[in-house]
Amino acid sequence: MISRLKRTTLSNRQERALEKTLQNLRVQRRNRFRVLACINEEEASYITVRFAARLAPGNECDIIVLFVRPIDQELWSGGLQVRLARQSMLEAGLELPGVKHLKTALDVLKEEGIDVTDWPQEAAHEDAWGDPAGDNKVVYTNPEGRSVVLKLKTAPDVANGILDQYELGPYNLMILGESSSWRGERLSLFSKGVVQRVTMLSPCSVLVARNSLERQGFFICTDGTSRSMQAVRRAAVLAHTIGEPITLFSAAPTTAAQPAAEENVENAKALLKALGIAIAESRVAVGNPAERIIELGSDYKIIVVTDEGRSWWQRMWRGSIAYEVARKARTSVLDVR
Amino acid sequence: MTAAFSLARDSLQAHQPSARLMRMRRQGYQRLLLLKSQFNIHYFWERKWFFIALLVGFVIIRLPTPEGLSADAQTVLAMSVVATILFVTEPVPLPTVPLLIIVGQVVLLKLNPDQVAQSLMSDSVLFIMGSLMLAVAIVKQRLDRRIAWFLVQLTGTNLYWISFGITLVCGLLAAFVGEHTVAAMMLPVGATLITLTSTEPKKIPNVAAVILFSIAYGCSIASIATPSGGARNAIMINYWQQFFFNPIDPSTYRFLVDYVTWIVYAFPMFLIRLPILTLLLLWTFKPETTDLSRAVARLRAQVEMQGPVKPSDWLTLALFGLTILAWIFYSSSLGLGTVAIGGALLFLVTGLVRWEDINAGVNWGVVLLYAAAVSLGVEMKASGAAEWVANSMLSLLASFGAEKGVGLWAAVSLLTIAVSNTMTAGAAIAVFGPVVLNAAQMAGDDPLTIGFIAAISSGLGYATAAAQPAFTIIYASGYLRARDFFKIGWKMMFVSFFLLLFLAGFYWPLISGR
Repeated sequence: MISRLKRTTLSNRQERALEKTLQNLRVQRRNRFRVLACINEEEASYITVRFAARLAPGNECDIIVLFVRPIDQELWSGGLQVRLARQSMLEAGLELPGVKHLKTALDVLKEEGIDVTDWPQEAAHEDAWGDPAGDNKVVYTNPEGRSVVLKLKTAPDVANGILDQYELGPYNLMILGESSSWRGERLSLFSKGVVQRVTMLSPCSVLVARNSLERQGFFICTDGTSRSMQAVRRAAVLAHTIGEPITLFSAAPTTAAQPAAEENVENAKALLKALGIAIAESRVAVGNPAERIIELGSDYKIIVVTDEGRSWWQRMWRGSIAYEVARKARTSVLDVR
Repeated sequence: MTAAFSLARDSLQAHQPSARLMRMRRQGYQRLLLLKSQFNIHYFWERKWFFIALLVGFVIIRLPTPEGLSADAQTVLAMSVVATILFVTEPVPLPTVPLLIIVGQVVLLKLNPDQVAQSLMSDSVLFIMGSLMLAVAIVKQRLDRRIAWFLVQLTGTNLYWISFGITLVCGLLAAFVGEHTVAAMMLPVGATLITLTSTEPKKIPNVAAVILFSIAYGCSIASIATPSGGARNAIMINYWQQFFFNPIDPSTYRFLVDYVTWIVYAFPMFLIRLPILTLLLLWTFKPETTDLSRAVARLRAQVEMQGPVKPSDWLTLALFGLTILAWIFYSSSLGLGTVAIGGALLFLVTGLVRWEDINAGVNWGVVLLYAAAVSLGVEMKASGAAEWVANSMLSLLASFGAEKGVGLWAAVSLLTIAVSNTMTAGAAIAVFGPVVLNAAQMAGDDPLTIGFIAAISSGLGYATAAAQPAFTIIYASGYLRARDFFKIGWKMMFVSFFLLLFLAGFYWPLISGR
C-alpha cells in the first residue's frame, strides 16, 4: 500500500540522489525572486498572471504559472474510472483540462510584455497518482536566465497541489485569485475554500489578487512591531522596484493610542528613508484596525498587511487583522510572512 | 540617493521548507500528507462527519423503541441513517461504508456471517460488476470516431441536427451499455468536434456546451430506458422480485420484471425527452456558430486515416449485439448479471481487452458499495424497518394530502430527485427503495408504478456536475464550467418531473391493465 502512495518508482538510493540535486537547485533558486501564479478554469483567475508579470519585472525574477487538476473523484463516475476517459482523450491527441488555460496564461503574459515565443523551451513529465497525464511542465528560459514555467499538476485536491508545489519551489510570493468561499475562523472549522486553506498554510507571502490593477500604490500597514517593520521594509522594496507610490498607515484602536500609531508611521518612514525609498504619503486613523485598513486601503492597488503568525486556535480567540483584511478588502491584499 | 535592491535578497523571502518536512520528503511528500492526515489532531476535523454519523447511529439505537418497531428494525434503521450520512458527506472513502454495513450486520444484528456473506451477492450485483467490465472493454475499442462519422453522414453539418443526432446515438448506446461507458467513449469525439470547429475553444463556449451536454444528457436520459442502463434499474428489479414475487401466487408474476417489460414502461421517457433536450440546449446556450462543416471535413479525414473497418471492430460490434440480444431474450431465464458477465467473458476470451485494462478501469469499490447497500435494503424490509418508515412517511404526507395517488407519486419523485442530487443514484435506490415500495403497498398503490417512479427519478438529479456519472466524466474534459450544469439542469429536472407524472398517470395504466 505504501508503495502505491509514492510519487515515483525510484529506489531509496535514487531518491536520495535526486533529493540532493533538488536541494542544490533550491539553494540556487533562493537567489532568484520566484513568483507562483495559481490559475483555475475561471477567466477571472488570469489576474494572478497579470500581477505576477507586474510584480516580477526584471531578469532576476521567475514566473511559475500553476494549474492543479484534482485526481479521480471517488465513485461519482458510476464505477468507471474517470482516468479511462482522460486516457481516451490523450490517445485521441486532445488537450487535457488545464493545458488550454496555461496557454491562455502565456497570451496574458505576452500582453503584459513578457513574450516567450523565442525563448528556448524544455518540457518535463512526471508520473503522479496513477493519473495518465501526471505532472507536466514547460520551462521557457531567456538568455539572461529568466524563466517562465507552465506547470500542470495532478493532486488529490487543489490546495494540496499548490502547497506541494511550494515544496518543489521554494517561492518568494504566491498569488491566488479572490475566494468566493472564505469563511470566518469558527465556520472554517467545517469547510475551507482553496484560497483560505493555502493562505493559512503557505510558508511564504501570499497575494490575494482582486481586480485592482488599474489602481495606484501600495498601502503598507504597520503596528510598530519588529515583525511588522520587517514586512514594511520588504514590501517597500518591492513597491520601489516596480515604481509604485508608497503610503504608510497605522491604525490606533483608541484616541489614546493615536500618538503611538503616529510614532509607528514615523519609525517606518525613517527606516525607508535610510534605505533611500521615497514615501508618497503617511496616514493614521482611529478605530477598529481591520475596518479602517479596508475602508482607507481599498482605493490602492495593494494593501500590505503583516501576518501575525497566529495558529488557528489563537485566531479563534484573538482574531487576525491580516486574515480579516485579506478576506474582506475590496482590493488586492499582500499578506507578508 | 538611489538604492540598488535585489528583490530576491531584500524583498519578500522564500522560506526554506522545514527540515522535518525535507526528511520526510525523501520518502515522498504525499506519504507525509497521509501520515499527517492520520496522526494529526486535524484528522478528527477532516472526518468529523464520520464521528457525527456514528454518534447519530448510537443515539438512534439507544432511543426507546417506538411502537410498531422491533429492536432489530431500530438497529437497521440506525445503520441506514449512518450509511446515508456517510454517502452524502463522504468523510471516508465510499467503499468504507459497505465494509461498515457488513460488520454492523454481523456485530449489531447478530446475523450469521455466512448469511450476511450470501446476501452480498445477487444477480443485480453480478450485473453491476459485469456491465462495468463490459464498459471498459467497449471504451478500449476506440470506435468513437467511426460512430461519429456514421452520425454526421446522417445529420449533415448543422449544429442543431448534430446535437440531436449525438443525443440520439449516445442515448441508444447508453440505454444498453450504461451511461458512463458511452460518456467515456464519446467524450473524445465531442472534444474533437469542438477543437476542429475553432482553434480557440474558449471563443465558442456555447458550441462546446451544446455538443458536450448532448453527449452527457443523451447518456443520462437513456440510462433509465432499459434495465442495463444503470445499476439502480437492476437493483429495483431485484427488490420487486425479492419483496413481492411469490411462486405459488400467479398474480405476483408481474413483479418478475423482464428486460422488455422495463423497456415498454421506461423507453418513452427517453424518446419524448430527446427533442425537448435539443431545444432546451439550443435555447439555453445560444451557439456562436451553427456551421460545423470544417470540423466534419476534418473528422472525415481522421476516419479515412484510420483505414477500413478492422476485423476486431466487427467482432466488437458482434459481441456487443450478442450481449444486447441475450439481455432482451434470455435475461428472464439467465439473469441480467449472468449475461453481462458472459459478455465480458467473451471480450476477454477473444483478446479484445486485457484483464489488466479491466482491472485498472473498473472502480471495484462501486461493486462492494452496491452489494452492501442492497443487502442492507433487504434487511430493512425483513426486519420491518422499511414498513415503519413508510408508515411514518405516509402519516407525514397525509397532512399535505399527498398520502396516495398523484400526491404520493410526486412526493416520492421529489424526495428521490433531492436525494440523488446529493448521493450516487444506485445507493439512493438501494437504501430508499424498500421504503417507497412499502409505502406503495400500504397506500394501496401499485409497487410497480412507485418503483418505476423512484428508479427513474433517481436519474433526474441534473443540478450539479457530480449528480450523474456521465456528467462527472464529461466535466473531466475541462471544457464546461460547474455553473453550466445548473443552467440547463433545473430546466431538464422540471420537464422530466412533469413528464414522469404524466406517463405514470396516463400511459402506464394502459400497459399494466390496472
